[in-house]
Amino acid sequence: MHTTLRPLAFCALGLAGCAGAVYSFTSAFRNPAVGSDLGEPLVIALLSNWLTASYVLCGLFAWWRRPESRFGALMVAVGFANFISTLSWTTNDFTFTLGQAFDLLPPVLFLHLFLAFPTGRLSGPVERAFVVSAYAAAVVLQAVRLPFGGFGPNNLLEFAAHEGAALISLRVALLTMSAYCLVGAATLLLRRRGTLRPLRPMFVLLLDAFALGLVMIACLFVSASFGGPAVQEIRWATFATLGAAPIVFLAALLNVRLARSAVGDLMLELRAEPAPADLRESLARALRDPSLELAYWLPDFGVYVDLEGKPVELPDLQGRSTTLIDRHGDHIAALIHDPALDDEPELLEGVEAAAGIALENARLDAELRARLEELRGSRARIVEAAQSERQLLERNLHDGAQQRLIALSLQLSMLKGRVDGDPDVKEGIDQARREIAASLAELREIARGLHPAVVSGHGLAVALEQLAARAPLPVDLDVEVDGRLPEPLEVAAYYVVSESLTNVAKHSQAKKARVAVVRTGDELVLEVVDDGVGGADSERGSGLRGLADRVEALDGRLRVWTPLGGGTRVKAEIPCA
Amino acid sequence: MRVAMAEDSVLLREGIARVLDDAGFDVVAQCDNADDLLLRVRSSPPDVVILDIRLPPTHSDEGLRAALELRSSHPDVGVLVLSQYVEVGLAMKLLADSAEGVGYLLKDRIGDVEDFVASVRRVADGGSALDPIIVSTLLARQRPDDPIAALTPREREVLELMATGSSNQGIADSMVITLRAVEKYVSSIFSKLGLPSTGTESRRVLAVLLYLRS
Repeated sequence: MHTTLRPLAFCALGLAGCAGAVYSFTSAFRNPAVGSDLGEPLVIALLSNWLTASYVLCGLFAWWRRPESRFGALMVAVGFANFISTLSWTTNDFTFTLGQAFDLLPPVLFLHLFLAFPTGRLSGPVERAFVVSAYAAAVVLQAVRLPFGGFGPNNLLEFAAHEGAALISLRVALLTMSAYCLVGAATLLLRRRGTLRPLRPMFVLLLDAFALGLVMIACLFVSASFGGPAVQEIRWATFATLGAAPIVFLAALLNVRLARSAVGDLMLELRAEPAPADLRESLARALRDPSLELAYWLPDFGVYVDLEGKPVELPDLQGRSTTLIDRHGDHIAALIHDPALDDEPELLEGVEAAAGIALENARLDAELRARLEELRGSRARIVEAAQSERQLLERNLHDGAQQRLIALSLQLSMLKGRVDGDPDVKEGIDQARREIAASLAELREIARGLHPAVVSGHGLAVALEQLAARAPLPVDLDVEVDGRLPEPLEVAAYYVVSESLTNVAKHSQAKKARVAVVRTGDELVLEVVDDGVGGADSERGSGLRGLADRVEALDGRLRVWTPLGGGTRVKAEIPCA
Repeated sequence: MRVAMAEDSVLLREGIARVLDDAGFDVVAQCDNADDLLLRVRSSPPDVVILDIRLPPTHSDEGLRAALELRSSHPDVGVLVLSQYVEVGLAMKLLADSAEGVGYLLKDRIGDVEDFVASVRRVADGGSALDPIIVSTLLARQRPDDPIAALTPREREVLELMATGSSNQGIADSMVITLRAVEKYVSSIFSKLGLPSTGTESRRVLAVLLYLRS
């Protein structure tokens, strides 16, 4: 509908609804037959036309506030359909027959309306087929009834008056309609149990009111078809229930006021500047949605992240809704929430406005964490790249130069066996071989410095034996690790022990040292403790810093205690899940 | 004497084969990986197997695993492991149960043809050959109240040779002393270290090794 025409059209529709109700009420009041048929004409006419007016007006209000939902329009339609059925109280033959023909329509419209709550759309083909068949039944059954008569003198469609057939067709029609209403009520009750959160009392109250209304219609029809004792009282109660439904609905719409107070509470909470981690709790409380999740938008990365800076995907599955939050024209975050909240855009808007700064702060926090995460990742990659480079060098040395030198030494040795006599030549060959042996020893040390091949080949426990044996002081070695660990972890652990023992030997003047390696659950814990002078300067050498890099690149932690005169203790904890 | 060997460097494999051939060994298998070696040994067990600790495909612990497997499946076949690094931890793994018919030498030792051939022969005969670097590392190892320090230089020399697997005759030859003198040194060493004297020469290798390591 065009925006400028909308208010006018709404006013016209509202006036039409009210006028219809007034017209119908006046007709009923003036119709002498109404009194004998319905008991107290005033009460029933009043209630019935109250339905017309209240559904039209409430429907228009809902339509205006929630143009995206078809529920308001549907309500208006229910109001007008109800109006047509009240025409059966007029004395004009045409309007009377029209009203009678549509007499069974209002219950089906209520059924349709209640089942279509809150979107105004029926969910699924089964429900749609059910409602369509109810409409068809209402029209067909009444069309069958009218020719048999029993409606008084104004029935234009009375062709074959037959008292017995009229009674049977009335009973069939009323019982069929009540069966539809009961099925509808059961559907609503199932829906109430199945999908809704207890946190939205207004919503549940509405469903209860709708289900009750349908049950009341069913009761009324059953009672009327068998001429039960309290038809009149049941009718009043039914109309009152149906009439109350739009009031409850209106109250739910006006829940905005409650939402405002929730937003007010939120603003007070945010004034205390909660930690970003607590922001979600505050927002969840204000929105009454404990399932609320926050995703922060990082434009530089082009992803949403959680508070830890870890990327998250926005859900596109049913059962979750997403509200995007902008601030000063920049997208900053997304709320992932229960779709029931879509019916409360005011609440969402209020929360969005109140939490803008807090969300922006939390976003910056998340961005910082994401950058740290990235940095950590790149540090791990650098350490890993350096490691594999060195591993490759060691391997090349092992397979190349070292093998060749050994083969050369072997050749010289065999050559010596074939040289007869000349002791000078033999001595020369021996000298060359000694040189080769020295080169090999040097190369061996270089290779070991490049990469501890024994660690990758045979594991940490085997490699540490050599470190303990080579240390220039007694080392008490205690390794409690079963099996192999990931290679980068073993290599890092090896370097921690190796470097620490070197430091002990160089600086500590310790008498002995202890190396303990334990795997506790999902962590490898290494400790190198000495009884030396302590006071190690971790900044002076790059050794400790390099170790910390290695350990931290694996998400681990390296700590050094080195009190003056109290020995030094290096402890590394590396996760090994 | 029949020898089977696994070494992935062609240069070294052929060099070793020639040296052993010249020394009168019958080289029955030259393999470049551990699986082939195991197959050849199973079909026709030699007297001794020589293998590199680092073999294809991953060049990590294939050689060692093959050696340990042969030690348990073919206890009569001597196993001599060669490596470009000798590590106390690996020596302890290889000699875990006994030092009989087992050797662990630095690859460089091949160059000393005479010594190398002697080592191969010793291992084939059920003796042992442990690289001097391992022994010297263990001897140099610092320990509180070190009884090693109570040994005389000659005794220390005898201990080193003993630990590498040399027989009493071998020690006598290399130190140019009498067999009788060697026996005296040996019993003096055992009493100074508080070790019970053991029967065979390879058993005392393990005893000394365990002592030095503890």
